[in-house]
Amino acid sequence: MSHVDDGTLHTYLDGELAPAEARGVDAHVAQCPACRERLEEERALITRAGELLALAAPPDRELPPFRAGDVRPPTRLWWRVRLPLAWAATIVLALGIGTYLGRGVEQGRRAETPADTAPARLRALEAPIRPEQAQRESRVAARGTARKPAAAPVAAQGFVRLDGERDGLKGSPIGVDTARALLGGDPLAVPGAPIRAVYRARELGYSAVVIVEQVLDSNTVIEVVNRRRSPMALDQVVVTAAPAARADSVSAPERAVPSRARVADSLAAAPAERAAARLSRRFANLEIQISGPVSSDSLRKLLELVQPLKP
Amino acid sequence: MPQDLAEVYRTTYRALVRFLYRKVWDAERAEDLAQEAFVRAVVHKPDNARGWLFIVAANMARDEARRAARERRHLTLLTAEPQESRSATDEALDVESDRARVRAALDELSPRDREVLLLWDAGLSYEEIAAQTGLARGAIGTTLSRARRRLVQAYEAGKPGEHVARG
Repeated sequence: MSHVDDGTLHTYLDGELAPAEARGVDAHVAQCPACRERLEEERALITRAGELLALAAPPDRELPPFRAGDVRPPTRLWWRVRLPLAWAATIVLALGIGTYLGRGVEQGRRAETPADTAPARLRALEAPIRPEQAQRESRVAARGTARKPAAAPVAAQGFVRLDGERDGLKGSPIGVDTARALLGGDPLAVPGAPIRAVYRARELGYSAVVIVEQVLDSNTVIEVVNRRRSPMALDQVVVTAAPAARADSVSAPERAVPSRARVADSLAAAPAERAAARLSRRFANLEIQISGPVSSDSLRKLLELVQPLKP
Repeated sequence: MPQDLAEVYRTTYRALVRFLYRKVWDAERAEDLAQEAFVRAVVHKPDNARGWLFIVAANMARDEARRAARERRHLTLLTAEPQESRSATDEALDVESDRARVRAALDELSPRDREVLLLWDAGLSYEEIAAQTGLARGAIGTTLSRARRRLVQAYEAGKPGEHVARG
């Protein structure tokens, strides 16, 4: 073995050399008087440097109590957190209003009673986490109101939409790769049906929502909604889901939700009234739901067909 | 989290003050900065609180030094540096002059060598020092050997020097 360099000697003396290398140094020093002498010199140097630094040490005082809590009032922390939240709320509101108005133009008025605006199951799922969210939103909304009074009535409307409508907010079209990244896996779709578009959406209680729009025939477009639950809602899901339903179950749609009537989609130029049923099914960590202007039996069959979109 | 941080506080506070003191050369100020670093840790909840604290402390000390340098430019003509006042007793003078000599010797080191040496002296491992300074772990030993040698040489060279007028 060649002589040991200074860096290695210091690493060795500091006890930071890997055991194997340290044994190598031991072996070399044992049969090399020159390195043995240098080892002692470096040891003395380290001791001396330590002594000098000790001369320049601050006076040794009692450990003061941890006063971190009272140095800065928590209000300042809140301010830091809430400002970005206010911005986020503003953006969410803008999107919400846009989607809301956009739908109104696109689809005409819908006949909806409060009772059937959201399927009962979804309500049950969201109910336990909603109070906290509602609180947070109302705080943010209140802040927005304070900063921009004109936005207040719209703000209320925007949140009504978020909470009351199960659709959440449909965002801009995305690619399948983006959808994959959002969901942490392949999005699910009905095999064989052409995909018209993939959208990103936002919905309370879900960390990611991706909507795959598929064309069944010239008049019929279905939406396959892929929802990835947010970790926050996970325990709520376990509690509220049917006990028989395992998260990885891929069998038949266990928890078909009551369908609800919907006024016809004017764009599809369909007959006056058509049932738009919604059903859902778990697929690994995703919750899959299909909606569209076809019978609930058809939707149920389609739901059984869904497969991951392979790259 | 507060529990963890309380433990880090117990084990790291003094090391942090020691580290900061060699940068700001004012015990009170070093303690204030250390407290401030912990306050920020409470807010940010970093994963590796210990390493994070030293990074924050180094940044605060650098800002502090800049500000002090600015202020010194204005004050030089008005007041004398505390280290240059010679009104204390001989014993206090010796302690003070030793400290001033070590300080002067530390100033002779390159910023990187000084940083590594101070971090080691504050109790950080090679691993932590490497993470903090961006140096390779394998370079820490070499850096430390150079820093220690220069510190001792600069101190010995400055012994009869201009900082003290003994006897």
